[in-house]
Amino acid sequence: MSNTETVPSETEEQMNDALTVDTTTPSFRVEGISKSFRHVQALSNVSLEINRGEVVGLVGENGAGKSTLLNIVTGVLQPDGGTLYVDGDPVEFTNPRDAADYGVSLVHQEQDVITNFRGYENLYLGREIERGGVLDRNQMREEAQAFVEDLGLKLDVDEFVSNYSFNERQMLEIAKAFHVSQKSDNPVILLDEPTAGLEEAGREILFDLVNDLRDRATFVFVSHELDEVLDISDRIYVLKDGELVDETTASAATQDSLQQSMVGRETADEYYRVSEQRTEEALGTEMFRVDDLTVGEEIGPLSFSVRKGEIFGIVGVEGSGKERLGRALAGDLGMTDGTISVDGTPVTEPSVSKMVDSGVGYIPKDRKSEGLLLYQPVRINVSLAMIRNMNGKFPLLNLDAEDKATERVIEELNVKTPGPEALVHGLSGGNQQKVVIGRWLAQETPILVMDNVTRGIDVGAKEEVYRLCRELTDSGVSIVFIGDELPEVIGMSNRIAVMNSGQFVDEPFDASAGNKPTEEKLIQEMI
Amino acid sequence: MSADNQQAIRQWLDRQREQRTMQDWITDVGPFAMLFILSGLFAATTTQFLTYGNLVDNVAKNSAVLLLVALAGTFPILQQSIDLSVESTVTLTGVLTVVLISQFQLGLLAIPLAVGAGMLAGLVNGLVFTKLKVPSFLVTLGTLSILMGFALIITGGSTITFRDQALRGIATGTWIPGIPNLVMWGLLIYGGTVFLAWRTKFGRYCFALGENERVVELSGAKVDRYKIYPFVLSGLLCGTAGVLLTLRISSASPNIAGGLMLPSIAAVVMGGTALTGGVGGPHRTILGVLVIAVLQNGMNLLSINPFVQEIILGVVVVSAVALSIDREKIDVVK
Repeated sequence: MSNTETVPSETEEQMNDALTVDTTTPSFRVEGISKSFRHVQALSNVSLEINRGEVVGLVGENGAGKSTLLNIVTGVLQPDGGTLYVDGDPVEFTNPRDAADYGVSLVHQEQDVITNFRGYENLYLGREIERGGVLDRNQMREEAQAFVEDLGLKLDVDEFVSNYSFNERQMLEIAKAFHVSQKSDNPVILLDEPTAGLEEAGREILFDLVNDLRDRATFVFVSHELDEVLDISDRIYVLKDGELVDETTASAATQDSLQQSMVGRETADEYYRVSEQRTEEALGTEMFRVDDLTVGEEIGPLSFSVRKGEIFGIVGVEGSGKERLGRALAGDLGMTDGTISVDGTPVTEPSVSKMVDSGVGYIPKDRKSEGLLLYQPVRINVSLAMIRNMNGKFPLLNLDAEDKATERVIEELNVKTPGPEALVHGLSGGNQQKVVIGRWLAQETPILVMDNVTRGIDVGAKEEVYRLCRELTDSGVSIVFIGDELPEVIGMSNRIAVMNSGQFVDEPFDASAGNKPTEEKLIQEMI
Repeated sequence: MSADNQQAIRQWLDRQREQRTMQDWITDVGPFAMLFILSGLFAATTTQFLTYGNLVDNVAKNSAVLLLVALAGTFPILQQSIDLSVESTVTLTGVLTVVLISQFQLGLLAIPLAVGAGMLAGLVNGLVFTKLKVPSFLVTLGTLSILMGFALIITGGSTITFRDQALRGIATGTWIPGIPNLVMWGLLIYGGTVFLAWRTKFGRYCFALGENERVVELSGAKVDRYKIYPFVLSGLLCGTAGVLLTLRISSASPNIAGGLMLPSIAAVVMGGTALTGGVGGPHRTILGVLVIAVLQNGMNLLSINPFVQEIILGVVVVSAVALSIDREKIDVVK
């Protein structure tokens, strides 16, 4: 028996229920949602409602709780407290399938499609139509094609997704969201950072699509691109530190007003300790120099230098090559041409070991998969780099030196841990990141390459990391500061290079205190 | 540290304690409990079990070789790979020992040469594993067959013997009163491996690599080198085991080490070194070895049919490993 035969009876019931619903009742409502992870309160008492046919914007800085909220309303996470309502009735989602049954589904930021499957196979993933235990490809293909055409999407569902453009994959994902929500007559579709990685033209297509589908679904648009949110939304909610701090109609809001609510009382200058930024005169000699660095076709040639005590920012859109540049600087990516010099001495055939030997430490973007030994104690994580050089040639560990270095890191970086022997796994994100930074501090590495050093840590910890960066530069450390968050890179850096298609667009911007470039200026060069 | 912090830390610790699951207890206390229960069982059912003669001459002496082979297996497992060629390495080095003594008349020199051959086998394992990026279980499964092939060629498939009482004494003598040499060697090497694991860079990287290789690489370590060392060490320990085994019985045959693989890997895991790497260590492996040695000894004392013993051993090993695996950390079992 095919799946489709069992579905209609339920769908009809739902439809009948839906028809009797008072249209003034919000189609989706969350009330008093709270969620904490260890000692980080990710969400506290968040209530919001989404009306039928609306496009609702949800904005907030990284770590404001957007992802947690999305995960809760789609059943990935269960809230510690609070209730979800669909059409006025309380519901409980224990997994994404529950949520989809009530019409709530998420279009992921990192596209959640299987590229070596065809379009229709993706659409029917986990809900395949079978006839006598065999997949009924014809029926799936025909129904899928009709389904996407009904939505007004121009997609060939018989094509492999690997041949789809970025936009087409996104369309397929949106179609999938409608498809899994078939039991609901007006699904709530959550778009998580949908424009990340899209070019201007792609953005237009997406926005048109959302506008066209407004009467068939309710959209929640989650982003930190404020102009886009203002553009597409009817109403906007602002999250900050896990709390709902503002609710406004899009027509009454400006980018500045949203920014204000997102960042809160502090001005950006205070937040990033711009007053502690070293002035041009206070910078030392050239510590780190890159000449004509090239990695295959993707990166370079590009050149820059960083002085002692300087923070050199690098920005660029996803795919601009900034992350790979960071890896190349760390010796993790083979260079095809160019030289990297540390304190005037070129590093021959850079590898990670050689760069570390020369005094360059790398802090990767993904702390959990590349930064930390999660199930090892803080001590072993802190000493991981310094043990390379312990006691010269005879490879004995100097446990005393290790203990001292660990104590020093815990003390100086204010790592909140029960002790040096506690597993890193149990620490909060911010404290975990301090351990990663501490690893290089422990062996007094003079040059640090940081890729999104504050990614996924809470606001308090971010402030501590900013303070730490200032202290490090005061003691003469040079930092290459690669980041996705423009305000952060602008606030922290002395100079900022914009990367686009593997190259620096222009001479780096001067970003000395009082002379910081605006986000718009950087964005112009980024796109 | 502020009072706030202390408060937070206290709460954190409480939660950790609550979360300390049954699993952790089984892993930590399990091998001790099992050893205790088995010993109690055999002490109650047999009169010989709790005698000095039995415990030292049978249990300890018979488990010395298993201990060395299990220690050999510990380091690759610790770094999340595995050495399945241990059995053949022991066999081949044993065979070589006999040949070097009896045909080449090399005397004492035969020992370092045979052990060196074991290390060479380990080095080849390590090089193929790291440089050609072949999964370690496959590489060592291959060498398991290759090394056995060499042993078969050298011996022609039969038992070969040597005569040299002085050399035999290295394994069969008692230089320290009350402690047979075999046991002494076992304990000395055990101490050495524990020292390697906890006090050297090599040991530290074994644990770290077992947990996350990328992290170690980005810390600047020369990862390939530290992925090869455990295999060389494994070869060294297996070589030593092969030599001692051969000296003890003054002969070698292609099946002297037959059936060592399962109990040795079982001993490692029962002791508490997870197959997923990063936790445990050689200091714990001795517990797993003792459990198996006591079990085998007890079954012999009870005159259980040797064929039935095989079944019991297999069942105990699989159950013990199933109990001691921390499933929370494992997403996919392959």
